[in-house]
Amino acid sequence: MGNLNPIQILVDTVSVGGLYALTALGLGLIFSVMRLANFAHAELVTCAAYAVFALSGQPVAVAIVASVGTAMVLALATERLAFRPLRSADQTTMLIASFAVSMFIQKLLIFTVGSRPKPVDPLPILAQPIAIAGAQVSLLKLATILACIACLGALTYLLRRTSIGLHMRAAAEDFTMAQLVGVRANSVILAAFVLSGFLAAVVALLFVAQTGFVHPRLGVQIVLVGFVATVIGGLGSLPGAAAGGFLVGALATLLQALLPAELRPFREAFLFLIVILVLLFRPNGLWPAPGLKERV
Amino acid sequence: MKSIGGMAAALVLLGTVQGAHAADTVKIGMVMPLSGWFQPIDASTINGALLAVKEINAAGGVLGQQIEVETFDNKSEPLLGADGATQMVAEGVKAMIVPSDFDFGAPGAFVAQQNGIISFSGASDPKFGVAGIGNLAYSLSTAGQAQGALLAEWGFEDQGWKTAYVLLDNTISYTKTLCGSFTERWKELAGEEGILGEDTFLNGDPSIDAQVSRITGLGTKPDVVLLCSYAPGGPSAIRQLRSAGVDAPIITGESMDGDYWAGTVPGLSDFYVVNFGSLYGDDTDPAVADFYRRYEAEYGERADVSYAQRGYAMIEAWARAAEKAGSVEPAEVAAALDTFRDEPLVVGPTTFTPELHIATTRPMTILKAEAGKFSIVGKFSADEVELD
Repeated sequence: MGNLNPIQILVDTVSVGGLYALTALGLGLIFSVMRLANFAHAELVTCAAYAVFALSGQPVAVAIVASVGTAMVLALATERLAFRPLRSADQTTMLIASFAVSMFIQKLLIFTVGSRPKPVDPLPILAQPIAIAGAQVSLLKLATILACIACLGALTYLLRRTSIGLHMRAAAEDFTMAQLVGVRANSVILAAFVLSGFLAAVVALLFVAQTGFVHPRLGVQIVLVGFVATVIGGLGSLPGAAAGGFLVGALATLLQALLPAELRPFREAFLFLIVILVLLFRPNGLWPAPGLKERV
Repeated sequence: MKSIGGMAAALVLLGTVQGAHAADTVKIGMVMPLSGWFQPIDASTINGALLAVKEINAAGGVLGQQIEVETFDNKSEPLLGADGATQMVAEGVKAMIVPSDFDFGAPGAFVAQQNGIISFSGASDPKFGVAGIGNLAYSLSTAGQAQGALLAEWGFEDQGWKTAYVLLDNTISYTKTLCGSFTERWKELAGEEGILGEDTFLNGDPSIDAQVSRITGLGTKPDVVLLCSYAPGGPSAIRQLRSAGVDAPIITGESMDGDYWAGTVPGLSDFYVVNFGSLYGDDTDPAVADFYRRYEAEYGERADVSYAQRGYAMIEAWARAAEKAGSVEPAEVAAALDTFRDEPLVVGPTTFTPELHIATTRPMTILKAEAGKFSIVGKFSADEVELD
């Protein structure tokens, strides 16, 4: 077995954890204000990535702006066309609707651009290793960590220091009560969708810069794991979602790094065993939202 | 399964009544993914087969009969293959083509077998044949086990590599077979210490950081890295290996054939893939080079993977066997197919026996990528292949 450099493990762990934290946060934002587990978040990531692909060859700033725009517009469109008419319906209906939106966009992509993965390389300058204290670390991973910290910081500022942030936190705690004291449901929900679209675009960019391709199912795997993360973090709690995302990503990387070779193919089994154990002891997640009632 | 079989049997009876077709045509079925996510994988297989039909018909057909193709779209859903095959049986086909993967091809092939009809696939799993489906199922591919053994022998003997690192994408059975057979053969050749390490990942993993770090942290650099994967996870893994500074040669099997993904790895170099022939115009076998020229002339674009040869060879093999047998009846064609000994097909000299309906020691082509451009290295075959 090769000897692993601790700095390398740390950078790997934090960069993967950060990517999942941003994904879980995008999901958590929507869940906290409207109790919707939005499976179509995966397609926000996918479509943002396709926007980068469509504009490859253009200046990278154009591609980035376009991908952020695409994800935000798509997020708003799904809210307006699919979720707003169902806002008074129960959670299960909305969940099924989000599946339908997800499937629809996925099949539409296969139909229009085909299911073959397409190569894309938005940030070639980041694809080189640099040495830090004897460890070979790719520049991209450092950029990923920085981008995650920046996003978390900006989001925290927005939620704590601005009036829309205050409204969102109020809505997350008790939506009906917030409405009664004058918080406008539509603007809060739209803001949540815009922010989740933005986070999806950031995830998409970091993801394609790492993997180098786009594909109609690109967002599915990462968003699925993101869901698990929001659940163990504590559904409805934003810090919980971010921490849960980080924890799951970091755990997956650590298990891969530290498990003996014979057990590594079962990494996922170990990961989800830990998830089950967490939920057995903390059924509401590690950092549950204060407004969420105990499930019976 | 029973009810499907029953239904199929009922439809056969129906088929024999309805299927009174003109004597100057013979029907071949195509139960293939014409839409959905599997579609691009078999697109060139289908094109290859249709080109063969066109050429054979232009040359007078099979035993004086023109080949008529009936198609069914399985919509990339494996189980719809059974419905498609049932429909083909009702149409009175004499043979059918099913998708190039055991899981996708088997549902249709089982129905074909139950109804006494030949099925062809490009599946690289020997179960697609006598052992798994039955005596009427034939694969035009080379067994995955043979591809692993071939890569090991070529790497050790021709390239002089002594140490290997094995990176397995644990998602599909082909990749497990490829890595498994390579490792087994490599240990026979280079000894236990010839494998510096083994690791696994999943095709959908957003990052293989930990796996890459394990390789960069090795005390001795491996002479070669075997990567058993497919697009998109496979190319992405190479990208991550290269950007972390792993510059050892990377070798892989047919599942990473084609250059449609090459842009994923900037300046892809020192990369070797085993497949059925070079579609880049430089194949050393004039028959293969000519085949790709005809393909491009017919479809106005280059084939994107070498599965086109397998598709062509399915129709070629069937027609050749029918001519030998003097009949298009499945039992007689199958008997003639089983006598193939290094039969020159566009996919290479092919041998079928009553026990084995897939190639093992048939030569395969190794291609090399340098600065993103593929070119042929040569044709090689495995000496020793163990099918489990």
